[in-house]
Amino acid sequence: MNMHKMTLTVAMALGLSTTGLPAAAEESGDGHDDSAVRSGKEIAQTCAACHGAKGVSASEGFPHLAGQHESYLVQALIDYKNGKRQHQIMNQMAGTLSRAEIEAVSAYYADMPGGLVTPSRSRADN
Amino acid sequence: MRILTIACLVLAMTGTAYAEGDPMAGKRKAETCMGCHGIKDYSNAYPSYKVPKLGGQYAAYIVTALKAYKSGQRWHPTMQSQASNLSEQDMADIAAYFANMKKIEKTEE
Repeated sequence: MNMHKMTLTVAMALGLSTTGLPAAAEESGDGHDDSAVRSGKEIAQTCAACHGAKGVSASEGFPHLAGQHESYLVQALIDYKNGKRQHQIMNQMAGTLSRAEIEAVSAYYADMPGGLVTPSRSRADN
Repeated sequence: MRILTIACLVLAMTGTAYAEGDPMAGKRKAETCMGCHGIKDYSNAYPSYKVPKLGGQYAAYIVTALKAYKSGQRWHPTMQSQASNLSEQDMADIAAYFANMKKIEKTEE
């Protein structure tokens, strides 16, 4: 095999071998490996104390989370984590979560049935 | 876990006093809100996450959020602008309107 073909083959092999790597090994930016991230369900066991096991909270002090938009929950947790949004308990809670865990727990709550809905006039008139 | 629950309950009991809301008045006052919050899966151009679903949310929580936007304690250019026009009664009425849209029951787990 000539040098050009060898180079091309090696380059292709390297290129192909670096595709398809799982994203789980990425760092969240706070210096720890996210590959050991807990599932959304596991993380939510801590949240359930205030927000309810099914994302339906028992007290008006804590918002319902069931069915809320995932991207909204992610942003809320990020803002609590970095202090942009101030709340004594939530700053602490979100501070323990990595970015991957924030996304996981947000997706978990977003998928919960029987929760929040987009307001509609027809619904309100019932 | 128990200490956490107690701490949550103690904090929840602070600062939730608010005017009683009328959902019928709220329906009229919430017309502007529906422009974003009434469209399924709506996102603003900026910031670009989806606007939160409000149907069935606790009225007190919505009022807390509106007050935080009005005071500037919570950031969001559009929401700060919207909330700045609302009186406490407006907030209570609008919140009652959204809360009443769906009865979310906490069932036994």
